[in-house]
Amino acid sequence: MVTSLEGLASIFPPSRFVRDAANQAAFESDGLTAFRAKPRAVVIPETAGEVIAAVRWCHENSVPFVARGSGTSLSGGSLPVADGIVIALNRMNRIIEIDPDERIAVVEPGVVNQHVTDAAAKYGLYYAPDPSSQSVCTIGGNVAFNSGGAHCLKYGMTSNHVIGCKAVLATGEVVSMGGRSVESVGPDYTGLFCGSEGLFGIGLEITLRLLPKPEKFHTVLVGYKSLQAAGDAVSAVIDSGLLPGALEIMDALAIEAAEAAVACGYPPEAAAVLIVELEGPAEKIEHERKQLDAVLATTGHFAERIAVDEADRLSIWRGRKSAFSAVGRLSPDFLVQDGVVPRKRLGEALVRIEQLSRESGIRVANVFHAGDGNLHPLIMFDGKQDGALEKAEALAAKLLRLCIEMGGSITGEHGVGVEKRDFLPEMFDATTMAMMERLRLAFDPGLVANPGKMFPGTEAPTLTQSGLHPLEKAGVISRE
Amino acid sequence: MQAETSILPVGNRTKQPLADDQQATLVSLRELKGIIEYEPSEFTFTAYAGTTISEVNQVLHQRQQYLPFDPMLVDAGATVGGSVAAGLSGSGRFRYGGIRDFVLGVKFLSGTGEVINSGGKVVKNAAGFDIPKLLTGSMGRLGVMVEMTFKVFPMPGCNQTLAVACDSLETAMQRMSLAASSSWELDAIDYRPASKTIFLRLAGPEQVNQILFQKISKTWGSDVTELSDGEAIWRAVNELAWTQPSRSLAVKVPVHRSLMGEIVDFASQRNGVDLHFSTAGAVAWLLCESQDDVDHLDQVLLGKQAAGLVVRGAPERPHIGSWPRTEISLAVKQAMDPVSKFPRLFHT
Repeated sequence: MVTSLEGLASIFPPSRFVRDAANQAAFESDGLTAFRAKPRAVVIPETAGEVIAAVRWCHENSVPFVARGSGTSLSGGSLPVADGIVIALNRMNRIIEIDPDERIAVVEPGVVNQHVTDAAAKYGLYYAPDPSSQSVCTIGGNVAFNSGGAHCLKYGMTSNHVIGCKAVLATGEVVSMGGRSVESVGPDYTGLFCGSEGLFGIGLEITLRLLPKPEKFHTVLVGYKSLQAAGDAVSAVIDSGLLPGALEIMDALAIEAAEAAVACGYPPEAAAVLIVELEGPAEKIEHERKQLDAVLATTGHFAERIAVDEADRLSIWRGRKSAFSAVGRLSPDFLVQDGVVPRKRLGEALVRIEQLSRESGIRVANVFHAGDGNLHPLIMFDGKQDGALEKAEALAAKLLRLCIEMGGSITGEHGVGVEKRDFLPEMFDATTMAMMERLRLAFDPGLVANPGKMFPGTEAPTLTQSGLHPLEKAGVISRE
Repeated sequence: MQAETSILPVGNRTKQPLADDQQATLVSLRELKGIIEYEPSEFTFTAYAGTTISEVNQVLHQRQQYLPFDPMLVDAGATVGGSVAAGLSGSGRFRYGGIRDFVLGVKFLSGTGEVINSGGKVVKNAAGFDIPKLLTGSMGRLGVMVEMTFKVFPMPGCNQTLAVACDSLETAMQRMSLAASSSWELDAIDYRPASKTIFLRLAGPEQVNQILFQKISKTWGSDVTELSDGEAIWRAVNELAWTQPSRSLAVKVPVHRSLMGEIVDFASQRNGVDLHFSTAGAVAWLLCESQDDVDHLDQVLLGKQAAGLVVRGAPERPHIGSWPRTEISLAVKQAMDPVSKFPRLFHT
């Protein structure tokens, strides 16, 4: 029997209860464009009360729901459940409070990541986690997927910056976890909630820690004739005792794409570029840059560009941040993987990726957060060719297994979502998986919150041939 | 319902109130010790739960690395397992985050004796639920942690400690706020109301610390002095030993600014209580002489719906103030410990 949606409809005015195909189309997919599913209805709450009422209705009527912000998930985390409800949170976008004295921001889930930093800027503060999609992705999604970015080595991921969360759980229970202090007593439920991929419930008011904006940045772009040399340079920087804010590498194919897209002026003929960024008080950076210069001088680079001002720094970052959508110029479609390997095995991992790419005849560009071993191989394919997507997926699977085999992780920052759910049991043994499933049931005994994500399951979304995400085509977002 | 044969895992029992339960059999992990793996280039190490922090520190320091959150009760003999279970971080929590942010993976036994491998061994990992964070602060009531992996950082060159005199709480709060929002990149900001002093720690190359010291002095003039015994000050805070040993009951209270005044008033009214704020005012540490002091603090916290944890001494109960008993906390406990092998999460 199909549940009537009447009760749910009564919570919302007609304009915010969407059932027509045209208006729903925008919600059928997210940043993982290879998958699509059609929800039964999309509701657009404007208040916490409406979110709570919608979740309670779903729980009571056993109708699955997916919470969604801007839909930038790269793992299919906000992909609708066929015949379920999408709870679109973009209008829950109030910054409730910025407290410069306590250095916290209290925000609703639909607030865009960058807007937190914008609002905090007048106090000399900022919100540190910076996923590449930060100009559009929302804090609710960042919390659900424990998003990362280029600065995780020094500052940690989203969960390190979330100190409290009021949430409606999948059962309809409303709880307050953590609070306004960065410290707490008792089990860290806030930490558990971060990265739960929407399987526990929906954050309604999220308390974020803000940091003082660094006084000075020192950003260096270094060109190498081989990927191995760039990888070795990362080890040399780490071994020197420096703790850079960011350490990023791009390979030749990624450089070519970025160059074509944004003319970022990276050294031509580089097989790899390394971006190192130091940040802190001016005097300290002055000191550390000498240390960095001395280290880099031993790494056999053939080109070096030091950002002379903020505009120059942003232009160095533009190449890096645009790399993913830029790869769209080289190939009509691509999959981006997000595995992690121990840093010392980066070089080995890259050699294996190249080998697997050659064997399968599929081009792979590499962009990665080298400081924390987080790879982002971009697997290129043409979705219009029969079997191309399947072949690309087969290669992606090999790369994930490689990360597991090397003692790493299947995801550093994109989450498991739909995309990697079959691999979670390869990373965790059966008893650990069973424990995680018990925890999921504790929060959601009816399995209504974002089913089909993280855990292998039967709810299969539709695979389609793809293209870039519409926002990505427009150059608004980029994948990281 | 607690199982008849319930057990409570303990280490060296430096947080004795948490390592005690009348109905439970204590299972000591103090002999399950040793560093299993240490990869300086990965910024990670893995150790058995009973390994002392002081052993870890010794090994890390040889490679110029450290745990930046200032682990607590190190001299007293704290273990890595006990530190995670108690969820304690010292003054260094201010800069890079607390113990929750540095524990990457935990192998533990569930209530039914299964071995669970949660989290991972690499510095960045978003796969599966973050159970290591749930175990932080779980006080041995959700599982028996046997092995854990931590993230570490390179040690800064030198530490320098400054004292900033503040005649009132208001001035101190205003100055802490300014210091915490400044670009000085301070390593720790603590405040002791009774001595009317804020303590600042600079961590970095010596000559850089000196320049920053000058900058800070320019801001607050002669109120700023450099302390030669800086290390001893931080050590005393992290060992909960900055006052006379008779104040043996130590209570941790996470606070926010609107609660600070209340706590300061409470401490100033009680002869047997010493107060120290760490992490730029986010945590109040209270050292109390008697159970009566703790009972009064309990009342203050209840009135403010705040929670406190007695981590040292022999209190009547370690959980004071307001600990909300939610449906979900019971359900999580049930999921982690379906046969109630471990004591309840808290007694109030």
